[in-house]
Amino acid sequence: MTKRLILAIIILLSLSRCALAAGTGRIVSLAPNVTEILYSLGLEKRVVAVTDFCDYPPEAKSKPKVGGMVNPSLEAIVRMKPDIVIMAEDGNPKELEERIRGLGINTYVVRAKRLRELPGEIERLGKALKVEKKAEKLSFEIENAIAGLRKRNPAKTGSRALFIVWPEPLIVAGPGTAINDALELLGWENIAKDAAAEYPKYSIDEIIIRSPQVIFMAKGHDASFDRRLLKKLSGVRAVKEGRVYYLGDPIMRLSPRIVEGIREMAAYGN
Amino acid sequence: MKKINISILIIASISITLFSLLFGPSFINPFSLDDISGKILFQLRLPRVVTSFLIGSSLGASGAILQGILRNPLADPYILGISSGSALFAAASLMAGSAFLGPSTTALLAFSGALITCGIVGALGYKDGILLPERLLLAGIGLGFLFTAVLMLFMSLSTNYGMRRALLWIFGDLSMADWSQIPWGVLLISAGLILSISRAKGLNALMLGDEIAHSLGFSPSGERLVFFTSVSLMTATSVALGGVIGFIGLLIPHIVRFLTGSDAKTLIPLSALLGAGLLTLADTIGRTVIAPSELPSGVVTSLIGAPYFLYLLRKKI
Repeated sequence: MTKRLILAIIILLSLSRCALAAGTGRIVSLAPNVTEILYSLGLEKRVVAVTDFCDYPPEAKSKPKVGGMVNPSLEAIVRMKPDIVIMAEDGNPKELEERIRGLGINTYVVRAKRLRELPGEIERLGKALKVEKKAEKLSFEIENAIAGLRKRNPAKTGSRALFIVWPEPLIVAGPGTAINDALELLGWENIAKDAAAEYPKYSIDEIIIRSPQVIFMAKGHDASFDRRLLKKLSGVRAVKEGRVYYLGDPIMRLSPRIVEGIREMAAYGN
Repeated sequence: MKKINISILIIASISITLFSLLFGPSFINPFSLDDISGKILFQLRLPRVVTSFLIGSSLGASGAILQGILRNPLADPYILGISSGSALFAAASLMAGSAFLGPSTTALLAFSGALITCGIVGALGYKDGILLPERLLLAGIGLGFLFTAVLMLFMSLSTNYGMRRALLWIFGDLSMADWSQIPWGVLLISAGLILSISRAKGLNALMLGDEIAHSLGFSPSGERLVFFTSVSLMTATSVALGGVIGFIGLLIPHIVRFLTGSDAKTLIPLSALLGAGLLTLADTIGRTVIAPSELPSGVVTSLIGAPYFLYLLRKKI
C-alpha cells in the first residue's frame, strides 16, 4: 500500500514537472516598446500580460494588464506566473527590477535608448528568448531600412528642426534620444541637441532665437495647448511658413515601428 | 463613553490591519493557499502591510507629540522640514542612480537626510539652553522651503526618468515595501514610541505651558528635547520606509482627541494605532479599487480621513 502511494506521488510529481516544462516561456512585458518588439518577434502567444500603456499592436490591448510602467502591481505580475519579465531601462525603475528578481522571477532589461542600438538589442533579446533566427531577420530588416533612409536623405547643413514631446510644460527631445538620432539621420539639426537632459523642459525664448525651420509635434494631447504654444511661437520660421507637423507614436517608441515613424518624418521633406 | 471609544479604536485598527492582508488585486483565502497566493501573501502583502502599519503609527504618534510640544494644532511631522530634507537626499540618490550602499541606499540616505534636518532645526531652535517652540517651528518651515527649492532645482536639471521616480517616491509609495528594511523600521519606531509613551506625563505638563510644567516639577526644555528626539527618529524612519504621506500626522491626533480626550498617555498610543489602521486601510483600498493600477496611499488617506474629520469638527466643537 505504502509502495503504491509512493509510486503515485512520484508519478504525480513528474507529471507536474512536465506541466511546468511545457509552461516555460510565459512572458510579462513592462513597456509598450518591449511589447511591440515581442509581437514583431512572433511571441504574442507567450506574452501573458502587458502594461496599461501597451496599445500596439491592437491585439495587445486585450492581454491581461499588470498596471503602469513606473508602478505596476507586483501582485498582478506574480499572479501571471511569468518565467521572465521583460523591462525597459528607459521607463521602468531599477528598484522594480531588483524587487522582481528578489521574488525569484527572471528579468531581462532592454537597455537600448538610441536608434543604432535597436538592432543589436533585438538580437540579444531574441537569444534570451530562444527566437534567434527571427530576431536576426528583424534586426537585419531594421538596419537595412535605416541605411536606406540615410542614403535617401544626405545631410544638409543648417536646416534646423525641433521635436516637441509635450507643449505644457514645454518638453522637447534633446540629445541622446532616438528622436534626436532620427532627426540627424534625415539631415536635420536638432536645435535642442545641446540641452542638459534627454527630455529637457525647454525655453520658449530659445526656440524663438534659434528659429527652427520645421517643428514636429507629438500627437495625442489636447490641441488647445498646442494652439496656445504655437501662438507664442508665431515669429518662428517653421510656424510662419506653416511647417509644423504632427507625428503619431511610432517615432516615440524604440521598437521596429520606429522605422515607420522616421519615414513619416521624412515625408515632410527636408 | 471614552472607554468604549478607546476599545472601538483598538479593535477597528487591528482588525483592519489583519483583514487588509486578504484584499488586493485578487482576494486571498488564507485557508486554501496555493504557491502563488502564498508568495503574494508572505513576500508582497505582509511586508507591505507591516510597512504601512509602521509608517502610520509613527506619523500618528509624531503628530500628537509635535502638536503638544509646539503647542500648535497645525503642527505635523513634516512641519519641521524633515520631509523636505529626506526627500532631497533620497531624490539626489535616485537621480544620480547610484546605489553605493546596496539596495537600501535610498532609504539610508532619506534617513540620514531627515536626521541631519532635525539636527539643523534643533540647533536653530536652541537659545540660551532652551528649545524654543516658535523658533523650532519657524526654523523648520524656513529650512523646508530651502530644501524644497534645492530639490526642485535638482529636478529641473535632471533627466525625465530620475524626475518621475523621485516624484513618485516623494508622494509616498508603499508598493516596493519588502522585508529588508522592516527590522530597522520596527527597532527605530518602537524605540521612539516607547521613549515618548514613557514620558507621556511630561507632554501633558508641556501642553499646559512651560511655567506650569516647571511648577509641576518638569524641565520644559529637557522634556522637549526628549520628545523632539523621539519624533525625529520616528519621522525619519517613516520617510525612509515609504516617502511622504500627508494627513495622518496632522489630523489623526485631532480625531483621537475628539473621541477620547487629550491625555497624552492614551493620545500617543491611540494616535499611533489609528494612524496605522487608517494608512493600512488606505493602502489596501489604493491597491484594490483600480487594480492592477494603484492609487497613491496618501491620496486615499485624505479622501477617507478628511470628510470624517470635518464631520467630527461640526459635531464636537
